[in-house]
This record gives sequence, structure tokens and C-alpha cells, in this order.
Amino acid sequence: MPAISVSDLSHSFKGHQALSQLSFAVMPETIHGFVGPNGAGKTTTLKIICTLLRQSFGDVQVFGHCVRSEAITVRRLIGFMPDHFSMYRQMTVFEYLDFFAAAYGLAVAQRDQVINDVLTLTDMDGRRDDLISGLSRGMQQRVSLGRVLVHDPDLLLLDEPASGLDPRARIELMEILRELKRMGKTIFISSHILSELAELCDSVTIIDRGMVRFSGPMDALLQADNEEPAFTLQLASPVEDAVDRLQNIPAVTSVEIPEHGDGSELHVTTQSGTETNVLMAAVAELDLPLSSFSKRRKQLNEAFMDLTTRGVRT
Amino acid sequence: MKRAVAALFSWSLRVDAASVTPHVIRGGFALFVLMSVGPAAVDAFSAAGPGLHFFRSICTLNVMLITVSGVSYFVSAVSEEKDAGTLALLKLAGAPPLGIILSKSTSRLISALMLLMIQLPFTFLATTLGGVTWYQVLAAYAALAGWLGLVANAALFCSVSAPTSGRAAVRAIGLLLGLFVLGPILTALSGLTLPVWVPVSFRSLVTALSKLQQTLMVSNRLNEILSPSGVTSLMGPQFWVSLLVSSTLFVASVLQFNRLAHPTPPGLTRRTRRTRRLTAGRAWKLAVTWKDFLFFTGGFPAMFGRCLMYLGIVVGFLVFHLFDSGLSKRWLSEGLALTCFLTVLGVLTIEILLYAAGLLTHEVEQKTVAPLALVPLDTVRLLAQKSAACLIAIVPGLIVLLLLVLLFHEAIEPLLLPGAVILYLFNVLLCSHLTVLCSLYSRWAALPAAVFLTLIFNGCFPTIVLGVITAVVGMARVNGLQIAPIAVTLINIGWAWMFVLLPLEIEIVRAWKRKTETS
Repeated sequence: MPAISVSDLSHSFKGHQALSQLSFAVMPETIHGFVGPNGAGKTTTLKIICTLLRQSFGDVQVFGHCVRSEAITVRRLIGFMPDHFSMYRQMTVFEYLDFFAAAYGLAVAQRDQVINDVLTLTDMDGRRDDLISGLSRGMQQRVSLGRVLVHDPDLLLLDEPASGLDPRARIELMEILRELKRMGKTIFISSHILSELAELCDSVTIIDRGMVRFSGPMDALLQADNEEPAFTLQLASPVEDAVDRLQNIPAVTSVEIPEHGDGSELHVTTQSGTETNVLMAAVAELDLPLSSFSKRRKQLNEAFMDLTTRGVRT
Repeated sequence: MKRAVAALFSWSLRVDAASVTPHVIRGGFALFVLMSVGPAAVDAFSAAGPGLHFFRSICTLNVMLITVSGVSYFVSAVSEEKDAGTLALLKLAGAPPLGIILSKSTSRLISALMLLMIQLPFTFLATTLGGVTWYQVLAAYAALAGWLGLVANAALFCSVSAPTSGRAAVRAIGLLLGLFVLGPILTALSGLTLPVWVPVSFRSLVTALSKLQQTLMVSNRLNEILSPSGVTSLMGPQFWVSLLVSSTLFVASVLQFNRLAHPTPPGLTRRTRRTRRLTAGRAWKLAVTWKDFLFFTGGFPAMFGRCLMYLGIVVGFLVFHLFDSGLSKRWLSEGLALTCFLTVLGVLTIEILLYAAGLLTHEVEQKTVAPLALVPLDTVRLLAQKSAACLIAIVPGLIVLLLLVLLFHEAIEPLLLPGAVILYLFNVLLCSHLTVLCSLYSRWAALPAAVFLTLIFNGCFPTIVLGVITAVVGMARVNGLQIAPIAVTLINIGWAWMFVLLPLEIEIVRAWKRKTETS
């Protein structure tokens, strides 16, 4: 059973079609990226999944429970972190987590255990008695993440969790998310930081103008449209006639030295259907000082740009 | 600097012109004045000087509106920038304290003066109807202008000194309430036979303060202007003293701006952490009630403070009675017991309405609507838990009220007629419901709008109650039945809840749901 199942989801605000027949599924215990340009409908979709917004049409289920008719059950299964800081700033970290744990019906003894675990996981043990208003943005984000974990939900819905965080805080957040995946949580994450999503996510859904452009495993997206396999060759030192020698290989269609490169890195494109080992054998015969050989994967941002349209949605 | 101030001023004016609420208030005001023409027309046949009666009602309305706008409109002049975290940006843009204060408050003052402008046709009508001269009209508007300046600058001072708009509003309410309440207290104190150990200078101070308060009160000045003896001067002492006090408050706001405009740096010391653990404790099973009781109404420390406040009121009356009639064997005279009861009731009512005004808006301001809506509780239970927190907070006031009834039941009994109690409860419930509902649409106009609507409804309510009683008793008589007074009371409570409060409650739930969707 998918953790999230969205089928034919449509939603409109005052005549404006925000989502149009969206369909995708998120498998349990995976990290699923949700990507799209500004105004694509990401936050609207997230709000519908987390029961904050009632959809106009379509069916949305979380672990088999309909978000519309079983909202209270769904709320116990999910933890939603919105894209803005929404915290009771006059509370201490402990009071904040204790409040949400009690609101989810946890007994006092259970709450102590859960809060301690959550504070350890988010590395906030030392700040439990600090006022939230006195915490840095990164720390507030950790507390916010702690809040969505206190009732031990199976599904985490994170809307731009890394926005506004410095690189260190971002890397630490990604580590926490990986740890949560290892703990068996399903994570549905919306983000604009594509390089990190590519590393983190098992699967991805790209939406644009309220419609799904791609939904599936990350590998399938990054290898899609790669009809002409491309490879990167790294030489120990630049060789003057390396480009000519490589172009003599029958399967090679083009050889390029990247802009600003010194000639030691070469991008080789081959005819479709060329096997990696065949090319490798041919290159080895050229007697070049090869230090690495890798098949080039499409970057997520390239795929994103290919699948989405230019301009801001109006 | 000049450019920054001019830009800020024009931006404030534009925002004000673009927002709907001030226009609605002005429209409502015009409508209300128009409604006052009716009684004036009736007066034209029955009494002399219908114009005077009409103009008096316009002045009363002005005083009410200026006072209410002080705690709702003027009070957010600077604090709204603190709420939005943009005060530092304004300072970075090179705007000095005087520039910021002038540009932010002048636009509001212009908006308030526009309110006076729309009265011009009605003023012409008043003079045409007769009974009031142009000199009286001008003197009355000078008095109102003085009051407007005083209220606006008092609110401005609160706006500069308070860290948030909410706290600024509470301070402004306290200040204005203090001004109104101080009069009778000081007058009563100056008339007392004080013991010998009280220094003579204290009596002089009390007398001087009493005179100052009497001079500042616009109602006294308006009564003087509109009295048959007529007006002696265009700008009386009230205008000049108000001008002096408001100038002092304005200068104090400018001088204190840099010191008071910065929010208190966050953080808890080791000592406050220990105290906090004791006062906050662990979240209750009704977690939302715990959260709102502690972090919205102030929790146990604030409850203790309110206990002291209510007891202070009662003790104040007891001490006054002791000095006033030391030979009396009673704790309080009948008149004082009644006044004490009404004072506590009044403060409790204000407390309830302030909670109603902030109950949902503090969630909106903190952007916590979404996480709170995701708690596995349906909206009705969630709102019920929030209301329960306010009910706990008003317990001290209720206990003091109950004690007063038990101790001085003979004096208070005439007030406790079933009809009067029901009418009071209904009005408080109606006004608090309306305040909660309006607070979801407008931030600071909620309370004044709710009070205004309750006053209008209050005009029709007794008529409807009487109508229902007559109809029920009449129908019973036709069918040969005798209806007990308690049954009639229950019927009235029933219809009032079903047709007035329940629809409001349903609308509050709907509006809150809409708010969660857009959060």
C-alpha cells in the first residue's frame, strides 16, 4: 500500500485552476522529492495531503485513509512542517514539544521519553530550557522538525525544510532526514535545492502549472532521454591530441573539453546503444593517462529545466 | 531624511486609503448619525431646540468613537512596525524617531479628521433645526479636537513603549480606563475626613489631581458648552490642558523612541528558568487549554496578579468606607457595596472582551494556525478548549463577584433580577462571540465593531424579549394554561441561543476553517 496515493487531484481557488488531475504515489519508507517552479501547486498539494485544505476533485489517501473523510486518523499518521516558521515563540523548547505531545494524546511518562529521543535526534538536548524566540533559524527548524516527530508519525510532509538555512545546517538536516528514513519513516519533501534532493531522494515528482510532469524513481528521471550515452574521462595530465584520438573511435559522435577546463577532463558522447565496456576497451587501447572513467548522469536541475516551462506562473 | 519621511507618510496614507475598514467605520458613523435624525425630528414636535438634542447625540458619538479608536486604531501606529519586524528597516532607511512617529501617526490623525469632515452636513442640519449656535458648534469641535489629540498621543506613547500591538492596546485601555475611573475616586477621596497621620500635602495633591481630571474630561466640557447658560470661550481650559498633556506625551514618545522601540532581547536566566518550570509545569491532558491559559492569558502568575487587582478594588472600597464613616458597624454601605459590585463586574467584562479579541488573533499573528489545526481535534473541540482557558482565567473575577453577592446580598439584590442577569449574560456572550468573529476579519477593529453591533442589537433585544413573553403568555392563556416565569425565562434563553449565539458559533467555526486553509 502506498504511503501517499494521489489520483486525479484537482483544485481551484476562485476560478483559478491550481491543480489539474494530479496523480502520483509515494512508497513507504522512501524519501520522495516534490519539485516544481514557484506557483506550480506544491504547497496546495501538501496542504491537501495534510488535511488543511479540502480538494475540489480527486482522491487522496494516506496509508489507505482518505484525507477528506478520515482527517483525524490521517493527522495522527502524518507530521507536517510548513514552509514558514510557525512556533509559539514565548515557549521553551521543552514546553513546545510537551504541548504537541500532549495534544496528540501521549501520557506524561511517554512524553518524557519521546521528547528526550527527539531532542537527541535533532541535537537540541542542551537547549531544552531555552526560549524558542532566542534560537537561531537553524535551531528553530530543528525544533520544528522535533515537533512533527513527537507523535511518531509514519509519514513526514516537509515543505521547504532547508530554506533559509546555512550550508552546515542544511547538511545536518539532510543527515537527520536520512536517519529518519533508516528508522522506517516515509518522507515527502518539497524543496528548491535540487542538488541535495538528487542525493537524498529515492523518487521524485515534478509538477508544473498544476500538472505532473514526471513521477517515478530518481534514477529513471536522471537517465531519461539519455539516448546518446555520455561519458566523462579524467586524464592524469592534459594530452595534446587526446580529442583527435578519441574522435577516431567509431562509436564516438563528439568530444568536448568543458569550458574553463585545462584539457584533462573530456566529455565524450557516443552513438545510441553503445555499451560502456566497449567504449572503455577502445579508450584503453589509445594509451591515454586515464585516471577515471564514468558514465555521465543527467543532473536533476537539467531534468527540471527540461520538464518545466519558463517564467513565473500567473 | 526628508525623502524617507515623505515616502513613509505617503505610503501610510495610501495603505489607509486602500484598506476597507476605515471607510466602513466612516460609513457606519454617517449611518448612525443619520439614525439620530429620527429622535431629533420627534423632539421638534415635543420639545424646544431639537437641533441641540441632535448635536448632543453627534458629540456623544464622537467621544465614543475617538475613545475607542484610541485603543484600537492609534495604538498600532508604531507597534505594527514592531509586529512586522520592519522598525529596524525604517531606521536603516534614515528615518529619525520624530520622522517615523510623525509619518505614522499623522496619517491616522488625518483619517480621524476625515471622520469629523463627514459630519459637516449633519452639523448644518443641527443648526437649522435650532437650539444650537455656530459658536457652540465650534467650541464643541475644539473640545473634541483636544480630546482627539489627548487620546491619540496617549495611544502613541503606548505604541512606542509596548513591545507588541496587543500589549500597547492593553496599556492604552488601562490608561484611558484609569482616566475615567480616577475622577470619581479622586472626588470621593478629596471629600473624606482623613486621619491626622495623612499629610496635608496628600490632600492638596488629591484635590489638584481631581481638578486636572475634571478639566481633561471632554464630557464635562461638552456639557458646559451645550448647557442653557451657553459657552463663555471658544477654547476652554479642557482644550489647552489636553494640548499640554498630549504635547508632553508626544515629546516623551519621541525622546523615548530609541530606548523603548527595541523589543526585549530574548532569553531566560537560570532563576527565571526555575520559576518557569514551577509556573508552567507539564502540559495538561487538554493541551490547548493549557497552552492558552499559560501563554495567552498569562497563566498562574497573571491569575495571581488579577486576584490582587480584584481584591485591591474591594479593599479600596472597604478602606474608603472606613474613612468615610468610621463609626459604621457595616463593612460597606449599601451604595458603596453596589458600586463595588458594578466596578468588579465592569472590569470582569472588559477582561472577557479582551480575551475574546485575542483568542484567535494571537494564533494568526504567530502563524501557528496550521500546526494547531493539524492536532487531531475537530475545530469545535479545539475552539472549546481555547475558550476553556479563558474561563479559567476569569475565575478570580467570578469568585470576587460571588463573594460580594454573598456578603452584601441585600444591597446587590435589586440588581439580580432574573431579567437583568439574563440580559447582562446575553450581552456579554453576544459581544464576546461577535468580537471573536470580527477578530478573524479585522485585527484591531474587532472589539469596537463588536461593541457597536451589541449596542445596536441591545436596542432591539428587550423589545423582542417582551414580544416573546407576550406571545407565549397569550398563547398559553388561549389554551387555558398558566406559564411559570421560569419557563418564560428558559424560552427566552433558548431562542436567544438558537437564533443569535448558535449561528454566530457556526460562523466562527467556518471562518476559522477558512483561516486554516489560507494559513
